[in-house]
Amino acid sequence: MKRTLAIPIALTLASAACYGGGKDRITIACGAHEQWCATMTRRFTEQTGIEAGFVRLSSGEAMARIKAARGKPEFDAWHGGPADGYEAAKKEGLLEPYLSPAAARIKPEWRDPGGAWTGVYLGVLGFCNNPDVLAETGLEPVTSWRALLDERLRKNVGVAHPATSGTGYTVLWTQVALGGGSQDAGLDYLRRLHPNVLQFNKSGNAAAQQAGRGEVGVGIVFSHDCVAQQQQGYAKLRVTFPEEGTGYEIGGVAVIKGARNPQGARAYVDWALSAESQRLGPTVGFYALPTNAGVTPDSKAADLSKITLVDYDVPGAGQAKPGLVRRFEDEIMAAS
Amino acid sequence: MSRDRGGRLPVRVAIGAASALVLAGTVYPLASVLAEAATPAALPRYARLTSASDLGILRNTLVLGFLVATAGTALGLLFAFVQTRLDVPGKRLLHWIALIPMVSPPFAVATATVVLYGRRGLITHGLFGLDYDIYGLDGLVLVLSLSFFPVAYLGLLGMMRALDPAMEEAAMNLGASRRRVFRTLILPLLAPGLAAPFLLLFVEAIADLANPLVLGGDYVVLASRAYLAVTGEYDTTSAAVYSLVLLVPAIGLYLAQRHWVGRKVRVTVTGRPAGRVHLVSGWARWPFYGLAVLVALVIVSLYGTVLAGSVTEVFGVDFTLTLDHLRVALGSEAIADTTVLAAVATPIAGLAGLVMAWLAVRHLRAGSGWLDFAGTLGIAVPGTVLGIGYVLAYRSDLEIGGVTVLPGLVGGGAVAGGSLAIVLAFVVRSVPAGLRTATGSLAQLHPSIEEASTGLGARPFQTFRRITLPLIRPALLTGLSYSFARCMTSMSTIVFLVTPDTKIITAQVLSAAGMGYYGVAFAYCTVLTVIVLASLAAIRKVVA
Amino acid sequence: MTGLLRLENLTKSFTWDAPPVVDDVSLEAAPGEFITLLGPSGCGKTTTLRIVAGFETATSGRVLLDGVPLDDVPAQRRSMAMVFQNYALFPHLSVFDNVAYGLRLRDRTRAELTEAVRIALTSMNLVGLEGRHPHELSGGQQQRVALARAMVVQPHVLLFDEPLSNLDAKLRGAMRAEIRRVQNLLGITSLYVTHDQDEAMAMSDRIVVLDRGRVEQIGTPAEIYLRPASVFVADFIGRANFLEVPASMTGGQAIVTVLGRRQIVAAHPLLTGDSTALLMIRPESVRVTPTAVEGNGSVLGVTFHGASVDYQVETAGGTLTCTVAGPHPGELLAEGTNVNVSFAADRAYALPRR
Ligand SMILES: Nc1ncnc2c1ncn2[C@@H]1O[C@H](COP(=O)(O)OP(=O)(O)O)[C@@H](O)[C@H]1O
Ligand SMILES: [Mg+2]
Repeated sequence: MKRTLAIPIALTLASAACYGGGKDRITIACGAHEQWCATMTRRFTEQTGIEAGFVRLSSGEAMARIKAARGKPEFDAWHGGPADGYEAAKKEGLLEPYLSPAAARIKPEWRDPGGAWTGVYLGVLGFCNNPDVLAETGLEPVTSWRALLDERLRKNVGVAHPATSGTGYTVLWTQVALGGGSQDAGLDYLRRLHPNVLQFNKSGNAAAQQAGRGEVGVGIVFSHDCVAQQQQGYAKLRVTFPEEGTGYEIGGVAVIKGARNPQGARAYVDWALSAESQRLGPTVGFYALPTNAGVTPDSKAADLSKITLVDYDVPGAGQAKPGLVRRFEDEIMAAS
Repeated sequence: MSRDRGGRLPVRVAIGAASALVLAGTVYPLASVLAEAATPAALPRYARLTSASDLGILRNTLVLGFLVATAGTALGLLFAFVQTRLDVPGKRLLHWIALIPMVSPPFAVATATVVLYGRRGLITHGLFGLDYDIYGLDGLVLVLSLSFFPVAYLGLLGMMRALDPAMEEAAMNLGASRRRVFRTLILPLLAPGLAAPFLLLFVEAIADLANPLVLGGDYVVLASRAYLAVTGEYDTTSAAVYSLVLLVPAIGLYLAQRHWVGRKVRVTVTGRPAGRVHLVSGWARWPFYGLAVLVALVIVSLYGTVLAGSVTEVFGVDFTLTLDHLRVALGSEAIADTTVLAAVATPIAGLAGLVMAWLAVRHLRAGSGWLDFAGTLGIAVPGTVLGIGYVLAYRSDLEIGGVTVLPGLVGGGAVAGGSLAIVLAFVVRSVPAGLRTATGSLAQLHPSIEEASTGLGARPFQTFRRITLPLIRPALLTGLSYSFARCMTSMSTIVFLVTPDTKIITAQVLSAAGMGYYGVAFAYCTVLTVIVLASLAAIRKVVA
Repeated sequence: MTGLLRLENLTKSFTWDAPPVVDDVSLEAAPGEFITLLGPSGCGKTTTLRIVAGFETATSGRVLLDGVPLDDVPAQRRSMAMVFQNYALFPHLSVFDNVAYGLRLRDRTRAELTEAVRIALTSMNLVGLEGRHPHELSGGQQQRVALARAMVVQPHVLLFDEPLSNLDAKLRGAMRAEIRRVQNLLGITSLYVTHDQDEAMAMSDRIVVLDRGRVEQIGTPAEIYLRPASVFVADFIGRANFLEVPASMTGGQAIVTVLGRRQIVAAHPLLTGDSTALLMIRPESVRVTPTAVEGNGSVLGVTFHGASVDYQVETAGGTLTCTVAGPHPGELLAEGTNVNVSFAADRAYALPRR
């Protein structure tokens, strides 16, 4: 029995030799999708010679992992994923402020004034319509938040859960913003929307999937997710934007406090903000808008000139998130 | 039974090793998280547990656990019954189909379920024109029972094969009908065997995360609530509190099972077999067979969809054949990494489960079931919480008096690229299956067989290796197979442990599904399923 | 010679609140002796045996082998081998491997092992069955494999737990002789559990009669049969007539008045002074003679056994069973026949009332 055990242990230990990281290596907690992360780190290494590895994590997972490491983080930088996660991390003191020279090309409202995090992409909330399904109930593609409450859309709207998904939370905060900053107003909208929701999906773009498959007539998603679905083969999907105004998400980048390789991490932030890196999204099917003013958005990305944006208070949204999400759970989900 | 004194060094070593495993793998990480749930700051959190919403979640969890455990155990029994007692064609095929769900990659089966049986399901809507909303409890029970029943099936199959047919002959001889024999003899004799998978399925169902996330609809359970607390509210304390609550039903059921099974020890393998199995060949076999075939068809349809989804552009919309998805999946290092790690963890888990069961049943009977319990705990805790526990417990070097005693095990830059922690997590998450099946099968083995060996001078480990092990080989096989499948498909814990050096398939599936690349997600699952099934065949060869 | 087995005040309770299952049992078996534990079902025989084997721990008392206490010796090092009631053959091993099992644990060379197994199989008449598995054997064959498996390791003590109870009567008779023959041959001290008094009588050097966990009597089969230590023993071993009679003791013998006659009979040491005693007369010691006139009894019932015939005879003192061996057709008595009942004084034994 002891011999049987010894073999796998020896194997494991032997494999130790193959792994391990040097000092000029950096590790990124990456909150976007696999290929995007892979491309970003690969190109970064090509540019700077600094080796970079990444682990794909949702914001919450990344937060939990960085926090639990108790000042000995395994990550040097955090890239991608909504700004509210970065706000929360900042509050916990998990981020190392760094004002990159490249941040000058980025609008002040799209970054933390203290340099704790900086925006790298912008996702705009839109409606992902399946015209065939809508037609069955005699509806046209939806163009307003109000129209989503139509009784004919019963169980016919896809949306994500505010707790698990940045998309879902952006929907909720957009309603808060539309309600003049009243959290009650925001929750009230979702309460009225609830009967029309098939389920609060745990991931943001599942609603685009559902619309594509015809499970719902319309999904509330970041417009780039709907575009990605179109590219994936659901060609009949149509993106619309709400006329009342819509919310948006900013994807961030930040240096982690206590990083083993802070220099490398800062170099990575510079890279993430550079025009060059921000042009890479569309090559891997990611159609969010760049934050770098020097980059022209892809033709498939949302056209900000034709869309009304709400006054989206990014830090405020981030700070309010835990409480608001809990209220959503208790007052809307559990009440059903 | 053999509770003699002295001369039991190997038994003590085994107890020591098993204890070390559960302490390091489950108890300590869990304690690290629960320490957070015990701080004064967490107190207000407990007050909210009695709120209507949290009580509702608790109720949802219990209902789900109960339904899945019942349905899954019943399915296992049905398949084992068809396999061992019915004279019907195609049993071999049915057996293999029943094993497929051992590989239930997160998301894939749930997604396939939606695609086939959802609102616009190819079958529910396309074939029958239904507008069936599968999200919620019904969908969860369907998917979870199908995913978890194989372990019940394999356990019960081994037991039904081991049942002395002479007893059935005796009962028939006394005038009992087949139905009566089943109800009054087979079922009660299998009771310990039924209790074990029931407990396992209950615990697995309430701790499962992936399926409630995809299919849960508005049906929130504790595991998904704990996950939401971590991911949405950045609130590990709440997650720890929810996990603590989740442990209560698991522990309660565990104790109840021990009590119940402990009081009715059914011993059937006596070493004096006689008689011959009489297969049911009357009309009565067809309803059972029909039901089993129906279930098998559903399984085939779901996994067929996964397979088809991995070789078509967009399954359900664009059926053009393509190998792109498979190419992406096969090109990933995750395949090799995961397979190697799982292959390392599997024998450890299988052996640990067996040794623990043996210790618990034969050597620690009197009230010392804690080892058995701690072994089961590995699956009773939501993976998310265990994962955080690993980071808390093993991220930093353990230093005593300024000397590094244990280097950090978790994360990038840790020993062996963090793979030790992953292997440990794999092991503790997959031990319970082996432990429970082995316990069930040991409880059926008459102690006198082992005593005969002891009486002839065999030391405990010699008896274990030469007598016990060969006799409970089916359970070992189940344990190993299930362990491997679990390792390859575990997700929630591992998300916290993956590093750039150790890529894990499920994390890739999650990421691909998250991006809507369902073709790629399906492709990963297909590859995964193929690897696991191939390994099951290999394990069979090695063990048999 | 080794194999001196001593049981000292063994007591065993499974639960603290129940009476002990084994209650202060002491006995000594000389090397090579064959001792049987005899008693009704549930009296603690198996438990006693399992304590000796080391499968159970005594609540108090101890077991010694050749003067060495076995308290700290685990079962596998006790140099004892047990034959189980259900045989406990290893279902996954062939007959050969079952028998070889114990030897394989003892580092024998291949040749030694094969030879030892061959001898064991031969002596147990199992030649030709080596390759079979337990489920391919008849009950008697399984039994002999179990026996061969135990004997082949040449233990110092052999333990048997009702090994013949699953066999038919003929086979049982043959196996009794077989077990005794091999045991004698090897000279292994044996502790044998049975509830069958015939078996105990036929096989044992000495018998230990147990009742509710306590030793009622230890003695040779003859002692136990002819001079039972208690009414329980007299009743349990063989058949006995009990007549309640007034008795007065003189010089260790009892003067009793029975069936209208005063007789002097052997008496139990506990019987003292003038009292009422139970007079035990075995049925085969009772004589019946038909009489034309009124005798002291009449035949109530007749049971014909072939080799003998039993008469139930009603007398003033109660109903007596009387066995007549080798009955002649012409001598059979019919029901209702008037008879005279008598017995030789030296065949009766006076016991104290319970
Ligand atoms: N493991 C046990 N737990 C509790 N009671 C037991 C156990 N084994 C035996 N007993 C009880 O002890 C008594 C004696 O049993 P046993 O020694 O098997 O009797 P027998 O003389 O028939 O072999 C019985 O009353 C039985 O019920
Ligand atoms: Mg007995």
